[in-house]
Amino acid sequence: MKLKDWIKTIIFYEILVGMNATLRHLLHYKPITLQYPHEKRSLPDSYRGMLSLLRYDDGTEKCVGCDLCEAACPSRVIKVISAEVPGEPTKRYAKEYYMDMTRCLFCGLCVQACPVDALGMTREYEWAVYDKRHLYLNKEQLLAIGDRAFPVREKRLELQHPNVAFFNVAFTHLPPKDN
Amino acid sequence: MALKPVTTPDIEAATVELSIDGRTVSAKDGVSLYDVISSTGKIVPAMCYHYTFDPFGSCGMCLVTVEGKKAPVRSCTAKAAAGMVVRTDGDDLFQARKKAVEKHLSVHPLDCPVCDADGHCELQDMAFHHQVTNLANAKQKLIPEDTRSPVLDFNMNRCIACGECINVCKDVLMIDALQFIKKGGFTQVVAKGDTALACEFCGDCLAVCPVGAITNKFSKYLYKPWQLRKTTTTCNYCGDGCQMHLETKDNEVVRVTSPLSWKNKWGDRADTAKGHGGICVRGRFGFQYIDSQARLRQPLVRRNGTLPEGELVETPWLEAMQAVVDRLAEVKAAHGAQAIAGLITARCTNEELYLFQKLMRAVIGTNQLDSSSRYGHLNFVRAVRHTLDVGRMTNDCEDITKAKAILLVGTNITETNPLTAVRVKEAIRVYKSQVIVVDSAQTNIAKLASYPMIVTPGTEGLFVQGLVKSVIEQDLIDAETTGKHPEAFAALKRAVADVSLEAIAARTGVSVEHINEAASIFAEAPRAIILCAEGIVRRPDGYQNVLKLVDLAWITGKLGRPGSGVNTLTEEVNEQGAVDMGAAPEYLPGQARFDDEAARDKFAKAWGAALPAPSSGANLMEILERCRSGAIKALYVVGENPVATLPASLEVRAALEQLELLICQDPFLTETAQMAHIVLPACTYAEKEGTFTNLEGKVLRVRQSMDPIGESLPDWHVMTSLASGLGSQFEYESSQDIQSEIMKLLPGYYNLGEPRKLSPKPDAYLSNGYVAEVGSRYGVVREAVSERNGHRPFGLVMGQLLYHSGKLSTQASGLITIAPSAGRLHMNAQDMERLGLTEDSRVRVTSGQGSLEMGAKADLSVMPGSCFFPEHFNDPPVKDLMPVEVDSVTGVPYFKFAWVSIEEA
Repeated sequence: MKLKDWIKTIIFYEILVGMNATLRHLLHYKPITLQYPHEKRSLPDSYRGMLSLLRYDDGTEKCVGCDLCEAACPSRVIKVISAEVPGEPTKRYAKEYYMDMTRCLFCGLCVQACPVDALGMTREYEWAVYDKRHLYLNKEQLLAIGDRAFPVREKRLELQHPNVAFFNVAFTHLPPKDN
Repeated sequence: MALKPVTTPDIEAATVELSIDGRTVSAKDGVSLYDVISSTGKIVPAMCYHYTFDPFGSCGMCLVTVEGKKAPVRSCTAKAAAGMVVRTDGDDLFQARKKAVEKHLSVHPLDCPVCDADGHCELQDMAFHHQVTNLANAKQKLIPEDTRSPVLDFNMNRCIACGECINVCKDVLMIDALQFIKKGGFTQVVAKGDTALACEFCGDCLAVCPVGAITNKFSKYLYKPWQLRKTTTTCNYCGDGCQMHLETKDNEVVRVTSPLSWKNKWGDRADTAKGHGGICVRGRFGFQYIDSQARLRQPLVRRNGTLPEGELVETPWLEAMQAVVDRLAEVKAAHGAQAIAGLITARCTNEELYLFQKLMRAVIGTNQLDSSSRYGHLNFVRAVRHTLDVGRMTNDCEDITKAKAILLVGTNITETNPLTAVRVKEAIRVYKSQVIVVDSAQTNIAKLASYPMIVTPGTEGLFVQGLVKSVIEQDLIDAETTGKHPEAFAALKRAVADVSLEAIAARTGVSVEHINEAASIFAEAPRAIILCAEGIVRRPDGYQNVLKLVDLAWITGKLGRPGSGVNTLTEEVNEQGAVDMGAAPEYLPGQARFDDEAARDKFAKAWGAALPAPSSGANLMEILERCRSGAIKALYVVGENPVATLPASLEVRAALEQLELLICQDPFLTETAQMAHIVLPACTYAEKEGTFTNLEGKVLRVRQSMDPIGESLPDWHVMTSLASGLGSQFEYESSQDIQSEIMKLLPGYYNLGEPRKLSPKPDAYLSNGYVAEVGSRYGVVREAVSERNGHRPFGLVMGQLLYHSGKLSTQASGLITIAPSAGRLHMNAQDMERLGLTEDSRVRVTSGQGSLEMGAKADLSVMPGSCFFPEHFNDPPVKDLMPVEVDSVTGVPYFKFAWVSIEEA
């Protein structure tokens, strides 16, 4: 026993045990740390990153200014100012739309609340800025994020499927009713 | 539509007993079962029901089971009967109601996200409560939105055909502007005749619409109900003082709603005697002036000399106030307190009116002050104060609703005071009241009245004289009240002895039989109300004519009898408060006479200052006269606009140009403010706290609903700092502090909602002074201001439109959209045809005062031989055509009527 203990002391056995993992990795080098920003992780589709506003395939904004996102938001990020579409008095849209991203907790409730899927969560997360005010995004900025993050756009609701409940349609554009 | 017995107090219905959910309930026979169920506290869901009108029974939600009936019945249209056994709950009823909701939803567009009613929608609530999650056979109506009306949009896809809008319009407001129509396979609500809606635009249909089928154009798509902050306040347009909710979003008024709504649909029909809770077009759609771009945001001081070369420059408050204080002190030091005068508008709160007169009297030391009640309301107050020892109308609005006869003299009540008009309408509809309307136009109320008496313009007072004569001639007098004062009655008899009914009939254009009929209807009614307004108090001899109305009420025994009395209507919201707060040279607060020693001592002690001498006061006309003569050097104008209101013949502009210092305090740069040396930006009622006193003496709260626009300040705040600058310590930090001072000085004034019942006390006057005065009252009967003669055949009346109130409402873009300043003379169609005029022709209107050119338009309400121009617009300045006469007793200027000639220009 005594000799065994003595040899262990000589060869720093405890340290070897403690450094086991370290020494093993010294030989079999396989890094886990990503060399951000040179390397980036691949993110799942359900990743909840930067918010964006989306468009239909004809380039029109999806948002109808219903204000449900503002109501759903737990940290009062969103501010919607709605109005009638100029020249199309039966349609509603968001005249102004603001998101204060300094307050956002990326819970995604606004996306769930949106009845027309006008909001999307992108996989963007690189939003460090020098000035906090740059995180107060307006409608144009949010649409631009949507444009670059979601290149594939949906058809307008009324063109998707005959059974889809659609609204915010100018009645003058409707097909004539067959008798 | 048949009325429910419970609502008509004159019909006695037998009491029956029935069982509801096992409880025995007693109710009147034949009453709607729904009402009986709600009276037990049980709320059965219903979408088409509202207590203000009769059950319609279209929504199919209020299902209950009645023993003996196989299927559930609609409780609203079922009548309560003896021995009924009713069940209101149960799974079968729930499923039946759920079916009804599904039926409505299956043709509903489900466009909640864009609908303005989202979150404030009964159909949404019902779908939620009944857990409707799946619709089997949904289809879209695809009806284009009806956007023809300037105010309301009708989206008939969302309509559930509950008929509430039609019923409220027809039954409660008696306007009947909406109807159902079958179009495109669906029942739709459209304006009568399927045209663009052109009605009174009260918006009560909008208020009762349980879904988003009717939307407000001025706030459409601008909000969601949960974004809005709701403040209950008092409307500041007319004297009705309606309660309403200002709904704001980010310091911006988005819409105005009323207590009338589908949300509070449960009530007793008898409650509508306290008011149905609606508001009129001015209240609902005239809010845009509050945050208008034209609002003053900074004090303005005239630099580089005085008028006309100097210009108004934006100046910080501190500097502007310093200038006001310095220059006022300068004037006072150089010329004494008598060189300073003040005018205030009756759209200020009671607290501000009180503070204004205290500032003028106790700090500056002058009794030269007046308010806009001088334009007419003071005629009434002075007359009833003199004869009956009361200072306002003696009845409340409930008395008007329940009256059996209503005499409306010289009032276009549906235009000037729309909500008091609703009470008159309710009197006609529910209480079967006889209404006598004496006016020179075919007004809306005259169309509903049982006795419309259309008189020659300017002869309303003469007609009253005819009524007095007729009552005496037909021996309709009340022996009890006249018996108490035989001498006075004898004097009255002597005074009217020379009055000839035939002569009156010839001049008023109403036959003797009609005068007699009106007199007997009025005299024989158990509850009879007189309502007089602009046609009496704003026309020559207004004071005397009110006295004649008091005579009429006295000899028919209506004075002091419950539910009867002499009443008036006020044009601006706080005219009554202005008199009560002493903003008139003849009255101290509480309508104490200014020369009454006891009252003077009381207020002098309370204010810690000596009051100006009793005879030194000056009213509006005298103030202008003294400005012209140079006796007054400085004028402090709060919200008033005499330049734009008074005719040019009074030379107001010249009088104000004489002044060394003109200070205007106003939310807008008015014509008067444009002449001022210093303009201070004031807040509107939405930005301050306070109270208004409405025409029936109710003191109503005004609540702050938003932050002041720009750097504007409440009037009381400005006056407090002004007083402090002038060396008096006014220690008010809020309008509450002023209120507590008024409470101490006028105990019982703040009745908040329940005015003290006033009982007229005519005895002192009748036994003392009446005999001497009455002789001359009926003696001289003059015709209107300028004698009618051959070459001036048309009576030109300047009056109010429903869509406007004073000059203030012309700043509200919504009301301007509805009724723009067209600069057109309203004429009778026959007259136009006779003169060869068409809708596009221009006419030249000439009076003794001058001549103007303007457009003409046919107006169905204008009678032949008269014409009308709205007083709100000075384009062209029709007011300048008016001759001015000043009442010798009350100093009220009369300038609303002229005889003119009209020819094609």
